[in-house]
Amino acid sequence: MTAQKSEQGVSQSELWHELMQFYIAEAWLLDDRKFQEWLDLFTDDIFYFMPRRLNVGRQDLSREVSEVGDLAIFEDDKAYMTMRVERLDTGMAWSEDPPSRTRHLVGNLVVEPLPDGDIKTRTAFILYRSHHETDENIFAGSREDHLRKEDGRWRIYKRVIVLDSNVILAKNLSVFF
Amino acid sequence: MAVSSEKYNVIDLKTGQLDRRIFSDNEIYQEELENIFGRAWLMIGHESLVPKVNDYFQTYMGEDPVILTRDNKGKLHAFMNMCRHRGNRIVRADVGNAKNFMCSYHGWTYSNEGDLEYVPGEEEAYYGALDRDRFHLVEARLDTYAGIVFATWDSGAPSLEEYLGDARWALDVSFNRLDCGTEAIGPVKWIEPINWKTAVDNCSDNYHVPTTHLSAILAMGRHLGLPRLTHEQQFESPNKHLFINGHSMTLRFLERPDQARQTHGVTQENRALFDEYYKATLPEAERRLGKVRAGQLHLGNHSIFPNGVLGFRLAHPRGPLETEFWHFVVLEKDMPADLKRALRMGAGNFNGVAGLFEQDDMDNWRGVTRSTLTPMARKYTQDLSMGIGQAGPDPDFPGTVAERYTSENNQRNFYRRWEEFMNARDWGDIPIERSTAEYEGTAKMNG
Repeated sequence: MTAQKSEQGVSQSELWHELMQFYIAEAWLLDDRKFQEWLDLFTDDIFYFMPRRLNVGRQDLSREVSEVGDLAIFEDDKAYMTMRVERLDTGMAWSEDPPSRTRHLVGNLVVEPLPDGDIKTRTAFILYRSHHETDENIFAGSREDHLRKEDGRWRIYKRVIVLDSNVILAKNLSVFF
Repeated sequence: MAVSSEKYNVIDLKTGQLDRRIFSDNEIYQEELENIFGRAWLMIGHESLVPKVNDYFQTYMGEDPVILTRDNKGKLHAFMNMCRHRGNRIVRADVGNAKNFMCSYHGWTYSNEGDLEYVPGEEEAYYGALDRDRFHLVEARLDTYAGIVFATWDSGAPSLEEYLGDARWALDVSFNRLDCGTEAIGPVKWIEPINWKTAVDNCSDNYHVPTTHLSAILAMGRHLGLPRLTHEQQFESPNKHLFINGHSMTLRFLERPDQARQTHGVTQENRALFDEYYKATLPEAERRLGKVRAGQLHLGNHSIFPNGVLGFRLAHPRGPLETEFWHFVVLEKDMPADLKRALRMGAGNFNGVAGLFEQDDMDNWRGVTRSTLTPMARKYTQDLSMGIGQAGPDPDFPGTVAERYTSENNQRNFYRRWEEFMNARDWGDIPIERSTAEYEGTAKMNG
């Protein structure tokens, strides 16, 4: 971390702290089930993407993460994300009623300022989910976000989530990443 | 009624009562692996998953890992993924491209035509006494329908064409419409805490949709401009539910031949583009399928016996209490990219591990499986009595057709088909309904 100032006059270190706080706040929104507020962290042109993670040999590592065009686990725009959130408020979203108890741990933040003033970040996460009486899942993976400032605050316009699992050992993915 | 001497008599067709031991008993499960998954034609892949010579795709037949590969001459094979020496698994990756498969235990090496080509120490350690021809990879019979690859271990099984029977008449509507053929993308894989049969049986269950999926219907209907699906609509629906050779097919009637099919991913914004696509492809579809199948019908929920679910999706058994589900989407190859994208997004949003519809199925299905585990709960049968006596032949459709779209006729017949496989000594004991449908148009088994 250097004290070098960016064009906006913010140091790399200040930027890193600002974004780390952003991700900590995001994790609390999810774990406190404030999903509408969480949704507001994304721009209207958000591309929310979780590709498949393949189990391939070392010579085929270029195929390890499925590409756009293949079937993904999540490939959402804002409308689909909104449906996911609004569904929870119908009172009849059985996969989340009773709701999951989640804990999102986010770290290993790397910040890369882009030439146009946008930001690219990488984070690693562990998501613990407890559901009903004894169901437990642990999801681990990485996220790569693209963010831009809108109305003076950071919003995510692209999120790519890569799980470390091949076959997902969970009955469903009714939680957010 | 004479008491059946058959071992399995689990569904009473007169009362619709089902013995629930079949969902959790491990001995029954082991017999299923042999008598059902060891005999039936199983969907294992799609030609588009191995497009080039030497490509392979790792799949399953029941719990047995299987290598689907296209050999260096372009021919497809399905091999048990097992070295003939000590039984080690020889391919461990999901996909790849290889001329040879070498076992990582002792180095026995097979060609992708299944021949044992090289054994370290063949002369020195085996003194030249090893008969390599005896150790060909175990190979299943393989055939394709419209690009979808099926395989069976049983040399006595009828042809795939006979096995599908007139289910193909209905499947063609979705999978055999155009000259360009289809491609499969996926699969998304996950473990469901359920018995595999419930996922298949549920394909015939139009009754659960307005209750199980109400939240998705409400949220998605509002955004996508879909009418709210209700029980009343389902009860009055003129749509047809067919049962043929263990396969369950739902056919929906179109309002006009060139309208966008009611498929996951069609939204208010893109509906006009889909209308345009179906209008443009209608003449070709009519040439291939005739006017009725090309312009009046749309394939809805369906299952292919034993474990094919809703299109080319697979419910692989993993013990009586778990199922590994593989979620694929099949797309028409030459469909414009923006429409493919819409269907891809829709497929992931409605179904699959994160799908707004499918995620609400899981705890119901698990409840159905788990309640068969205790002696107290097992005393009570599962009830499948809906619409008994309200199904039969239909002048316009093949197979047994339920009087109403919402009926448990197909589930009763699915468990009856299960009994037929489980009680049979061999394929000679398993009845096959002969084809009676008229296949208008030029579409054939192989596309």
